[in-house]
Amino acid sequence: MNDKRELIRFSNAGKCFSTPGRGDVWAVRDFNLLAHEGQLTCVLGASGCGKTTLLRLAAGLEKPTTGEVVVDSSRVNGAADIGLVTQEGNLLPWRKVLDNIALGPEIQGAKRHKRIAAAREALSRVGLPQKVAKSFPHELSGGMRQRVALGRTLCAGSRIWLMDEPFANLDEPTRHRLQGELLDVWFEDHQTVLFVTHSLEEAVFLADRIVVMAAGRMVAEFQVDLPRPRNRLGDDFVNVLLKVRRVFTETDR
Amino acid sequence: MITPRTAIRKMLLGAMIPMGVILLWYFTAPGSVVVPSVWSVVQILIHPFREPLCLDSTSLADGAAVSVLRMLCGFLLAVITGIPVGLLIGRSRTGREILAPVTAVAMAISPIAWIPITIIVFGLSSPATAVYGQNAWQHGVLDQLRFAIIAVIWMGAFFPIVLNTASGAQHVRQSHIEAATVLGAGKFAVLTKIVLPSASPAIFTGLRLAGGIAWRVIIAAEIFPGTRGGLGYMIAVAHETASYEYAFASIIVIGLIGLCFDAVLRLASLRSTRWMVQER
Ligand SMILES: Nc1ncnc2c1ncn2[C@@H]1O[C@H](COP(=O)(O)OP(=O)(O)OP(=O)(O)O)[C@@H](O)[C@H]1O
Ligand SMILES: [Mg+2]
Repeated sequence: MNDKRELIRFSNAGKCFSTPGRGDVWAVRDFNLLAHEGQLTCVLGASGCGKTTLLRLAAGLEKPTTGEVVVDSSRVNGAADIGLVTQEGNLLPWRKVLDNIALGPEIQGAKRHKRIAAAREALSRVGLPQKVAKSFPHELSGGMRQRVALGRTLCAGSRIWLMDEPFANLDEPTRHRLQGELLDVWFEDHQTVLFVTHSLEEAVFLADRIVVMAAGRMVAEFQVDLPRPRNRLGDDFVNVLLKVRRVFTETDR
Repeated sequence: MITPRTAIRKMLLGAMIPMGVILLWYFTAPGSVVVPSVWSVVQILIHPFREPLCLDSTSLADGAAVSVLRMLCGFLLAVITGIPVGLLIGRSRTGREILAPVTAVAMAISPIAWIPITIIVFGLSSPATAVYGQNAWQHGVLDQLRFAIIAVIWMGAFFPIVLNTASGAQHVRQSHIEAATVLGAGKFAVLTKIVLPSASPAIFTGLRLAGGIAWRVIIAAEIFPGTRGGLGYMIAVAHETASYEYAFASIIVIGLIGLCFDAVLRLASLRSTRWMVQER
């Protein structure tokens, strides 16, 4: 793993928001993180601990107040080729499903027939039937919308996926199915993934490595060496889960 | 949902008041010296190409064509200029700070008030005088498109388009913009792929408003002395010679054309605003 390229590096990165009500809020503080190519890192933390801010720093949507954030060895400047999947999917409501998925190639200037073909392929890879291609996002269920958001990231060919609690709004069976599909895609293409979640079980199921955050800082880091596919009811799985939970509840106090 | 039944219901209900007005008109006209009979107005409406005998004006159809042409020129000019300026105000803080006060003031002034000024500025010049000079009068249609008139319509239509475009562009969701920037979109791609479609419902509201204003302004401007031709001009001369049936016919045609123009704009907006209807 260590001979692979570093794609994401946080060096003493901090982000401070100046708010009129609460003064200076340090959402992320003294953060050091290395993510190698093809690594699936889950960031675990309670609500408000700075997970979204961390991802936005990596995406170049926020500039660090201190330290630096380097993505693919070029300083993040807002125009990186990055897939960002958020909790609500953030689809463009005026575009039909297929045109939403084709956004990446369209921005890269691909010809219409090429990007439509690519979008159709991505559509089936994220487990959506071709007939939803012409639907508007508001006509879909939450699970389908998240699949479209995954498809958009997939179709853009982004090597770095930043995922901000993408499955948090879904019921458990749908969440499990989408986790499986994310892993299927990742097995094939080996994107570098930073996956934010507040679900311990989700983190243990998905991650190569779990980073625990509290109050803007990294407080613990685990390697998860369980073989895949992981059995959520297996003894090994439950042991890792309990270990992570212990750290998580300790730091939460 | 539009079913045949709801469509018929809509038409019947919508026609109730116009029908009532026509009936009222029919029964009161004989007792009045000013109100022309329904029949004399219908005669004009069903022979729109007939030149009026006792009036220094062209035919009704000709007048309508001239008015519509003038309005379209001014309106299209306002669309071409108004949308970019609106985007600038909506997306750039400096642009907004420079232009917003001016637009607010300009909005408060009736476009008609500019007529004397535009006539001083543009005089009798038209596309015809620009191209043909002294022989301009031989090129009737082009000579009707006096710059002074077009400028006034532009004044009326420009500001509603600017304001609505600006408000649409200002309220684009930041997360939608970010969806494109993380995928590598530059400023121009964000403008064309995110800001414009996202603002298009507001832009179309502006266009419909501007269309209505442009149409009202052109008629008023034609009534103003200094123009020849057009429906407004016909109303003006009809009043001078007390040929009120021509004024009535013009007013009916004005209403119908306004209705059609708005319907066209509404149809055009349907495609780009369909997503708005049920967006959650
Ligand atoms: N744009 C902003 N302006 C001011 N404060 C902000 C801003 N963004 C985040 N914060 C603050 O920074 C802290 C971390 O927020 P962040 O959204 O990163 O947390 P989170 O871990 O993603 O929470 P959740 O799990 O609820 O999504 C919070 O206290 C929040 O109020
Ligand atoms: Mg968050």
